[in-house]
Amino acid sequence: MIVAAWICLSSPLAAALAIALAGSRISRRGAGYLATASVFASFVAACVAFFALWGDAPHDRSHYSTVWTWLELGSFSAGLRILVDPLSTMMMLIVSGVGALIVGYSVGYMDGDDEERRYFAYMAIFVFSMLLLVQSGNLLLLLAGWGLVGLSSYLLIGFWQERPSAIAAAKKAFVMNAFGDATFALALFLLIQHTRSLDFDTVFARAPGLSSNHWLVNLVALGLLGGAVAKSAQLPLQTWLPDAMEGPTPVSALIHAATMVTAGVYLIVRTHPLFELAPKVEDLAAGLGAATLLLAGLIALVQTDIKRVIAYSTMSQIGYMFLGAGLGAYANGMFHLMTHAFFKALLFMAAGLVIHALAGEQDIRKMGGLRGLLPRTYWAFLVGALALVGLPPFAGFFSKDSILAAAMHDGWYGYLLWVGGLAGTFLTGLYTFRMLFVVFGGEPSPFVREHLIRPRRRGEAHHGEGPFSMTSTVAILAVLSLIGGWIQFAPLWIPVTHWLDVVAPTLPHAEATSWQEGISSALAVGLGLAGLVAAWLVYSRRRVAVPRLPFAQRALEHKFYFDEAYDLVFYRPGVATARLFGRIVEGLVVGGSIVGLGRGVGDAARGVARAQTGLLRTYALAIAGSLAVLVVVFISVR
Amino acid sequence: MTLGILGPEVSWYLAVAAFLFATGALGVLLRRSPLIVLLSLEIMLNGANLALIAFARHNGSGAGQIFALAVMAVAASEVVVGLGLIVAISRRHLDLDVDKLRTLRG
Repeated sequence: MIVAAWICLSSPLAAALAIALAGSRISRRGAGYLATASVFASFVAACVAFFALWGDAPHDRSHYSTVWTWLELGSFSAGLRILVDPLSTMMMLIVSGVGALIVGYSVGYMDGDDEERRYFAYMAIFVFSMLLLVQSGNLLLLLAGWGLVGLSSYLLIGFWQERPSAIAAAKKAFVMNAFGDATFALALFLLIQHTRSLDFDTVFARAPGLSSNHWLVNLVALGLLGGAVAKSAQLPLQTWLPDAMEGPTPVSALIHAATMVTAGVYLIVRTHPLFELAPKVEDLAAGLGAATLLLAGLIALVQTDIKRVIAYSTMSQIGYMFLGAGLGAYANGMFHLMTHAFFKALLFMAAGLVIHALAGEQDIRKMGGLRGLLPRTYWAFLVGALALVGLPPFAGFFSKDSILAAAMHDGWYGYLLWVGGLAGTFLTGLYTFRMLFVVFGGEPSPFVREHLIRPRRRGEAHHGEGPFSMTSTVAILAVLSLIGGWIQFAPLWIPVTHWLDVVAPTLPHAEATSWQEGISSALAVGLGLAGLVAAWLVYSRRRVAVPRLPFAQRALEHKFYFDEAYDLVFYRPGVATARLFGRIVEGLVVGGSIVGLGRGVGDAARGVARAQTGLLRTYALAIAGSLAVLVVVFISVR
Repeated sequence: MTLGILGPEVSWYLAVAAFLFATGALGVLLRRSPLIVLLSLEIMLNGANLALIAFARHNGSGAGQIFALAVMAVAASEVVVGLGLIVAISRRHLDLDVDKLRTLRG
């Protein structure tokens, strides 16, 4: 099992190194197949580890393995240490499984791009980093994986480096993530100071001893939450995710939907003993999740870029996961993470098929009537949309509703979150089906006619709905989105909760009764359907006009002015200070002192040079004069 | 050191030495011909020599006289170099005037 876990971790790294070192000796296609094969090998290894772990007794399912002690400082030591336990195997399966599908999809999507090899090397590096993040056995290695996924995300968002907007988006994502990394690292420093360790088992064993120090536990939890919020694009560090859609679509599917952005949820669940010591911070996490899911749902209503709509829905869904994890319903959050990985990757990749068919166009206002032209894509997209809205029997139904049910126990705050989450389901239905009806419904738009219908009529070889590598992976994900939720149907059967119970048992106040499950499900499905119907009335039948609320619309189109506010509060003062210091310190002090020094030396030299008359007699006079002075001095001093 | 000194007091010798030195120094400062300047230098050196010998006699030790001999040897070699320079200058048809030899001006 341990060997399988190590193979799982190292296989994508080996592929990335091989692609990078082989250079042009490997064909572009070959690089794609190599990356896919390596991630698939990871998936197989993860499956082996999973089944081996299944064979163990439930209380004996945590296996650490250290191959190398990396750092040894007195009593503190940190090593290359991995942990195989139910939580990490679950994440390994999701990351490598969905990752393998998406990397395979990229073989078709990126076909013909100039730098396919670089792309696949980056993808493999990303999968390695993500696996390192979820498999690490101590917080230090987790931070290393955390930083590496940030780096590979930066590289992949800025993959089309000739586009200035992609570079700007990559930088934005990196800076925002770096902020989270910094708070995360600060929390780790505190932990080292007070528990003398970063290994999960030691830290969690010693953490309860710190609970009397409220400041400390709150600061540690806040630091970890800061990291999680930045990585998962929650309020108030959410603005990088929509911009990250500048990257290739499979990247959006893998990193910015299925895996990396959910790392924050994983972190909270993994370090839940620390969060449980700081209940206020847990409440904050849940509140941020609820606020993000509402905000993102509202903004998604007015977006016109197909990928951005899905990006906002990702933020919104991660908001649900934060809500669950913050309330202590860890298993529900992780379960939603899993189903979300399926249907969000599906939506992104189906959107990728649309974009691929329309020669790179992403604006939904130019699309329309694609239903008849791309029927299989339409069905896949529909499955993804229904799963996202959470209608039975699709995957989202099972996972989202139990998160809502968990909120019902937690006093007035819990009910507030519950209402927020329910409002979110209505918004989800509305924005998802707005997108679906606008893109696929109605008559083909002029743009679609030009790019899809005319080439087909002329009999030009058009690649149908996409190459096999793309359509097949989309089909697999559609099936997973359809049946993936049936793994757990609270409260009737709950294997995921049981599986995670040894690592992260659900807190008692987040245990939902069947009555709560029932009413949450009924309301969530009802509101989701209401959103769907509203979207149908407005965007498909056009019975109801879009209400004209210029103020609200402007606020939504500007994404609640977060970018503008950050621009005003951080960027502009930063630039102004830099300019000021550039002018005063750099220009006057540093530059001025150098110029002044040079000028001063020149002047002094000119003055001294004047003494060199070249006249013999002046020299003689000087010698004689100074001698006379010396004589006088010697005589008088004595 | 009560070795009776024959002749005048040591201060008389020193006065003559100072006069010689001053004459030489004025010559160095005022004359423009390098030959005369060299000559004046010799006068200065001889003034110094006289003072050395006078002190030697006064103290009754021979060290000052040895110094004077060394100064004479140095002066002789200095004259060789100096005259050599003057010959070189005149060979290049330059004016023998120290005020015009000022290429070292800063």
